[in-house]
Amino acid sequence: MVDNTRDSVSWLGARLARKEDLRLITGQGKYIADMVLPRMLHAIFVRSDYAHALIKGIDITEALALPGVVAIITGDEMRTHCKSMRQPVLTPNLPAKYPLYYGLAVDKVKFHGDPIAMIIARDKYVAEDAAELVVVDYEELPPILEPAEALKTGSPKVHEEEADNLMFEMTFTGGTTPEEQQNHAVEVEKIFQAAEIVVGAEFRVHRTGTTPMETRGVLADWSNSDGLLVYNTTQRPHIDRLAFADVLDIPAEKVRVIAPRDMGGAFGLKAPFYREGVVVAYAARKLGRPVRWIESRYESLMSIGQERGQVNTMEVAATREGKLLAVRNRGVADVGTGQIGVYWGFVMPFLGTVELPNAYTWEAGDISLKVAFTNKACLTPSRAFGHFPTRFAIERAVDMVARRCGLEAADVRRQNIIPKLPYTSVTGEYYDSGDFLKVWDNLMIQADLPAFRRAQLSARADGRYIGIGFGCGVELSGVASELMVPMENQPGYGAATVRLDPRGKAFVLGGDAPGGQGHETTISQIVAATFGINPEDIVITTGDTGVTPFGSGTIGARMGSYFASAVRKACDELREKITHVLAHDLGVRATMEEFAFTDGEVVYIRDTSKRKSFCEIVERIIMFPINLPEGEVGGLETTAFFEAAKPMICFNADMCTVEVDLRTGDFKVLKWLTSEDVGNVINPMIVDGQMHGAIIQGLSNAIFEEFIYNDQGQQMTADFEHYKLATAADVPDIEITYASTPCPHTPLGTRGIGEGRPSAVSGALCNALCDALSPFNIEITELPIRPNVIWQKLKAAGAVT
Amino acid sequence: MKTIQVTINGELYQETVPIRMLLVDFIRERCGLTGTHVACTYEGVCGACTVQLDGEAIKSCMLLAVQADGHRITTVEGLANGSDLTPLQTAFKAHHGLQCGFCTPGILMNMTEFLEKNPEPTDDEIRYGLIGNLCRCTGYVHIVDAVRAASKVAKQGGQDGG
Repeated sequence: MVDNTRDSVSWLGARLARKEDLRLITGQGKYIADMVLPRMLHAIFVRSDYAHALIKGIDITEALALPGVVAIITGDEMRTHCKSMRQPVLTPNLPAKYPLYYGLAVDKVKFHGDPIAMIIARDKYVAEDAAELVVVDYEELPPILEPAEALKTGSPKVHEEEADNLMFEMTFTGGTTPEEQQNHAVEVEKIFQAAEIVVGAEFRVHRTGTTPMETRGVLADWSNSDGLLVYNTTQRPHIDRLAFADVLDIPAEKVRVIAPRDMGGAFGLKAPFYREGVVVAYAARKLGRPVRWIESRYESLMSIGQERGQVNTMEVAATREGKLLAVRNRGVADVGTGQIGVYWGFVMPFLGTVELPNAYTWEAGDISLKVAFTNKACLTPSRAFGHFPTRFAIERAVDMVARRCGLEAADVRRQNIIPKLPYTSVTGEYYDSGDFLKVWDNLMIQADLPAFRRAQLSARADGRYIGIGFGCGVELSGVASELMVPMENQPGYGAATVRLDPRGKAFVLGGDAPGGQGHETTISQIVAATFGINPEDIVITTGDTGVTPFGSGTIGARMGSYFASAVRKACDELREKITHVLAHDLGVRATMEEFAFTDGEVVYIRDTSKRKSFCEIVERIIMFPINLPEGEVGGLETTAFFEAAKPMICFNADMCTVEVDLRTGDFKVLKWLTSEDVGNVINPMIVDGQMHGAIIQGLSNAIFEEFIYNDQGQQMTADFEHYKLATAADVPDIEITYASTPCPHTPLGTRGIGEGRPSAVSGALCNALCDALSPFNIEITELPIRPNVIWQKLKAAGAVT
Repeated sequence: MKTIQVTINGELYQETVPIRMLLVDFIRERCGLTGTHVACTYEGVCGACTVQLDGEAIKSCMLLAVQADGHRITTVEGLANGSDLTPLQTAFKAHHGLQCGFCTPGILMNMTEFLEKNPEPTDDEIRYGLIGNLCRCTGYVHIVDAVRAASKVAKQGGQDGG
């Protein structure tokens, strides 16, 4: 239940400067590439030049002879000495094809960038030289690049051992048997037949992702007595520990994984268990020396970080008054090889389809998904996990309904937004709490739509085309076990150990692994508020499986929902013990609620002369555990686990305005305004920062970034000159506002935020562009959206010559 | 191989290096100054490796170590004077101008020089000044806030902006 009133020292909600910053602004951060061990060797991967080819032979003779080269590992060795990546801890409980693969490619390469061999040398320059000397004898095969082609009967196969290229298929609505589903589809079709308005389009979203500034890196060390130690850029070290143990066949207690305290962004890319790490760890064990691999940007853009690529053929039925009735969607996702541990590429489109209905009250839906193997890099999780394409489609479709009805799209949204929670969507997603209309109305008050319409009219009189667009999004606040177990074969609960120190300080140990979200600061604020001490007196350790309790990782906005709640729960357990002993010492009969933890003291509320400094009572319990209450023992450390009864959500709504230059199709975002339900906020500055970053990622995805393969399956965008990220000059300022409702299912009323946030952006942007160009009836149905596309549409509409 | 002399943050390094060694690798691996980062394929796009060469912001992945022979370099480790942060560093902390911090050293080195040349920039000038630095976490909003704040500090204090 929500209860933060008892925190008399209000660190909760304070715009506290981050504890992480001092080391990071003075060059003292310690990222994976900064870690060096004695006798460390450098690894580099030789990757496939072709999208699809048989490996007829690999000649490493010349490379191995180069002075400084220590070893070269190929796929055959990995297949012989390690297990496959298809281990239970890495495999969802969903009926899909899970193609067998190893640390390195064997027999066949399946995408441009597939790892074939790993060079290990004393010097990284020498390792690169050696990579040039490896000769791979390929027999080229025609690449399979288009999902529609890949799914045709008799298509050549990406994976020879599988029956076909259909990796996964699911109907999300209307029953479990084919017959039930068919009957349901007929019912939905009846709604469409009777509907006054039906809109639809094929909504295409390109391959793009969230590309953190720090690439991946692995540093593995082996000891015959202690086993394997791996420093790994990972969001989920505890999962990785089990996976390393299983794939390398090492007893799990002999594996320790440490995610460096400083990680240069992650955004989902560092959530999977990657094959490269297995090869590095195998080499360290084989050679008995530390081996480090720092991924180049080139191989990163080639082989990971690609998400979104999906076509959604969507239809929406509505009344003439703009009431949404039913949605029908046929999604086809281009998953690439489908070979990435934990996610296998298809988990994202799966969840993205679950999230398709968004915040609207549909009577019915007929929603299904097909996922196709192709000879491209496997889709990798990227912030807005899976639902960037479906959100684009649904938000555009709502605007298309509004246009057909002759209504304001904002009014159509308000009319259809779920008025009361909890609510279960037509795909079965549970929305636990919040007030969507409050968030929406807050946005609209600030947006001042009538004023904009007046400005738009006068601008048009001057030959200027400005437009306004809206979007909204229900996002996950953490991922409950209920969803995590089937989806990833892993738990969702949060876990935290809180250890008090005889000097009155606190240590927090967590098994997740942040990458810039400010956990050290936020968690310190929670602990400080709970014990009435100073955030500076608290030390947070994350990411080290040797010392932290099990955590499923920093994914899906689990911080504000699950980790923060577990920390609070652990603190409360210690408060219970402290007050139990203190009441005994003071000779009063009192419960925990009758004590206040404030300004470094624990005070008996009914007689405030009865008090003790926090430091003294903590030291007394840890160091002088005599004359304790009956049944009590000394020591102040506990581990708490938190799991909400049901999945939880957060909600946001966006407005943007744009101006389009009719002559060129060039456009500029003039204003971006949001309204958010983030529950109770621990540090507003950090939450603002999460929103800014997510929204700009969404804009960058929608406008600039695009992974392009040519017709031979060659990856053409494997550097930052061709895979363009938004720069500061490309994007607008962002104005964040809040209309929050405390979450009733977390101890502090907090919600996990920021993960899904980029998804609402592309719809709002394109809605604004279409609004600006409404005299020409232009509908945008494909991303990325760029000036040349708009110009072509204007030309087709006769607006330009 | 060539023996070079480079002064980094006031300290003289005399080292024998392969001709092909990049300056950024020299700074990071030979001198152990790991605050300077690499985020692109040594193509000068990301700006994480930005340092100052004789007071001018440059991308250290675009130079060879031997080209720095006889020159003076400042890295992010050389900005603060002991525990005294520069106004720009202070502003980045106060305005949450960083999240993961990976791009931050390069941005600090670039913007330090930027504010020396343009002590009272407009927001647009700040944004265009940041084109050579990619950031993936912040959406640039708080970075612009921090640079703007540091420019005011510079103006009020009559300092050189960092």
